[in-house]
Amino acid sequence: MSDGGEAEGTRDEQNGSNLRSGDGDYSRAISRVAMAQICEGVGFEGFNESALDSLVDIAIRYVCELGKTTRFYANSAGRTGCNIFDVVQGLEDLGKPLGFTGASEVHTDCVVSSGAIREIKEYVDMADEVPFAQPVPQFPVIRERRMIPSFLQMGETPAFKHVPQWLPAFPDAHTYVRTPVWNERLSDPRTDKIELARQHRKAERSLLNLQQRLVCNGSSVATTSAEPCNGGNGSGVNNNGNLSLEKPLEAEDIGVSRVSIPPKLSSQAQTEKQVSLLETFAPAIEAMKDGLDSGSDGEKTFPEKRDSVFLELKGGKKVFGEPLDLKIRKAVGRTSSWFGHEGEKDDKKRRVEFILRQSLENQQELPQLIDNVVCFSPFLEFGGLVLEELQLEGYESSAMLQPHQNFLDSPLPQMHWCCRPLEPKMVFCEEEEETNMSLWRTQDNFLRHQEQVIKHATWN
Amino acid sequence: MNGQTSHQQPKDRHDDDATLTEFLASLMDYTPTIPDELVEHYLAKSGFQCPDTRLTRLVAVATQKFIADVATDALQQCKARPAVIKDKRDKQQKEKRLILTMEDLSKALREYGVNVKHQEYFADTPSAGLDPASRDE
Repeated sequence: MSDGGEAEGTRDEQNGSNLRSGDGDYSRAISRVAMAQICEGVGFEGFNESALDSLVDIAIRYVCELGKTTRFYANSAGRTGCNIFDVVQGLEDLGKPLGFTGASEVHTDCVVSSGAIREIKEYVDMADEVPFAQPVPQFPVIRERRMIPSFLQMGETPAFKHVPQWLPAFPDAHTYVRTPVWNERLSDPRTDKIELARQHRKAERSLLNLQQRLVCNGSSVATTSAEPCNGGNGSGVNNNGNLSLEKPLEAEDIGVSRVSIPPKLSSQAQTEKQVSLLETFAPAIEAMKDGLDSGSDGEKTFPEKRDSVFLELKGGKKVFGEPLDLKIRKAVGRTSSWFGHEGEKDDKKRRVEFILRQSLENQQELPQLIDNVVCFSPFLEFGGLVLEELQLEGYESSAMLQPHQNFLDSPLPQMHWCCRPLEPKMVFCEEEEETNMSLWRTQDNFLRHQEQVIKHATWN
Repeated sequence: MNGQTSHQQPKDRHDDDATLTEFLASLMDYTPTIPDELVEHYLAKSGFQCPDTRLTRLVAVATQKFIADVATDALQQCKARPAVIKDKRDKQQKEKRLILTMEDLSKALREYGVNVKHQEYFADTPSAGLDPASRDE
C-alpha cells in the first residue's frame, strides 16, 4: 500500500509527528505497520501520513483503555489478575458509544452470548487472516541489571559495626583516594642507542636475506653452471671489459669487480659498467653480511672525478635498441641492490636476460660505464630508499618518479634520476674480497643509513 | 425470569463454558494482524496482568475489529465523495485511488465518539479548513 500522502503532496503534521515520536518509538512503528496492513485489508490503496498517525494513536489508546477497564473490573472483584469476564465487560464498556448491541444480556452467566463477543466471533469468521508482516521480538528488552555485590558476596567485612553485611559493599579506596602519579620509567640513552642499533642490524640482515634469495633465483636461471648461490656466479656479464657471456667465474675471481665496481679505479674497469644485476648481488651480499656487524674494514677512496649518475628507468622506448626495464648507469662505483618483491622470480629471470642481452650488444656504446651499478627496483618505496642512499653518499638528486606496479608487464614511464655528486669525499670501505655497498661510508653516514633502512624496511 | 434463569443456570453454565472454551480455541487459530508482543506491551503499561495468551489474542482481535470498522466507514466516506474526472475520460469508469485522508477518518471516528479535528497548517485546496457542510456543497 503506497503512501498516498506523499504522492498527493498533503504531508502535514510534520511537527506533530515529531512531538509524538519520543513516546515509545518502537511500539509506535510496529503499530503503524499493523494499522497500514489493516487498512489495506479493508480496501484502501493509500493513506495520508497524518491520517495513519491518528489511526495509530486511536488504536494504542483503545488497547490501553481496554486494559485499564479490564483491570478496573478485576480490582472491583477483589482480584489482581484479569480473566475473560473482565475483558468482556471491558469490551462492553468500550462499545457503549456505539449503542447497545447486546447490552441486555451482558450480565448473564454466559459470556459468549454477550454482544461484544458475538461481534468478535463474526469478525473472526468473516475477516481474512492477515498476520503481521514481520516477526516482532519480545519487547521491551529487559537488561540484566548488574547489582553491586554486598559485603558478604565480596568477602569483606564492613569497616563500621553499624553496617550490616548484606548491604552493597563500599567502593574501593583507589576510586576516591587520590594518589600521586609519576613516570617511573627511566630513560637510559645508552640502552636506547644499543637497542636502536640492534634493530637496524636486524633490518639490514633481513634485507640481505631477501637479496640473497633473489640472487639465487636469478642465478639459477641465467647461468648454465650450477654454482651455489653464495658463490653468486652471475651470468656471463662479468669483469674487466668483457661483457660477453662467458663462463661464469668462480667465486674467487670475483674480487675483481664482478661487480663492476672497481674498487679498482682502473679505467678498463670503468668501461663495462653495464653489469648484470646478478653480479652485483652475490659479492655484495657476502660482504654485507660479514661487514654488517663489524663496520667498515677497509677504506677506499673514490675516484676524484665523479660523474653524474643517471638512473634511468625506461619502458617501451628502446634504450640501446632494446627495451629495458631497468638500466642504471652510474659513474661511481657502488653496489646496492634493492630488489622488488622476492616473489617475482620469473620477472627477475627475464630481467636478467634482458640486461645480459643488452649489455652484450651495447658494451661498446656505453661511454662511461659506471663503476658500480645501482640496481633498484622500480617500486617507489625502493626507489626512494635508493635515492636516500645516494643522498647519504653525498649525491644530490632530483628525481621524478612515478609509481609503477609491475614494471615488466607494462612499460615504465621514463624516470630520470639525475644525481650529481656533491663532493667526492665519501669513503669507500671494502672487504678484502669484494665491494660492499654498505661499507663505503663514513661512520655517521652509516648510522644515518641505518635509520633510513629501518624506516623503509617494511618487510622482514 | 430470575427463577427461570436460575433453573437453567447449571446447564447453561456448562454449555457456556464449553462454548467459551471453544470460542477461545477458535481465537487461537486466528492470527491477528496486530502482533501479540505489541498488545502485551500496552496492556502491561495499563496494568493488565494475565499470563494467558488467549486473552491477549482476544484483546488484539477486538482492537483489530475496531480499527477495521473505523477504516470501513472511512472507506465508505471516501467512495461517497464525488470523484474528479477529466473531460477526456468521460466514458471511462470512475477511477479514484482510495486514499485514507484525515477528513474521512475524522468523519468516521465521530460516530465512535472520537473527535479528531485536524488542524490545517497550510491550505492545499481552496476548501481547506472550511465547514464540512459548506465544503460538501
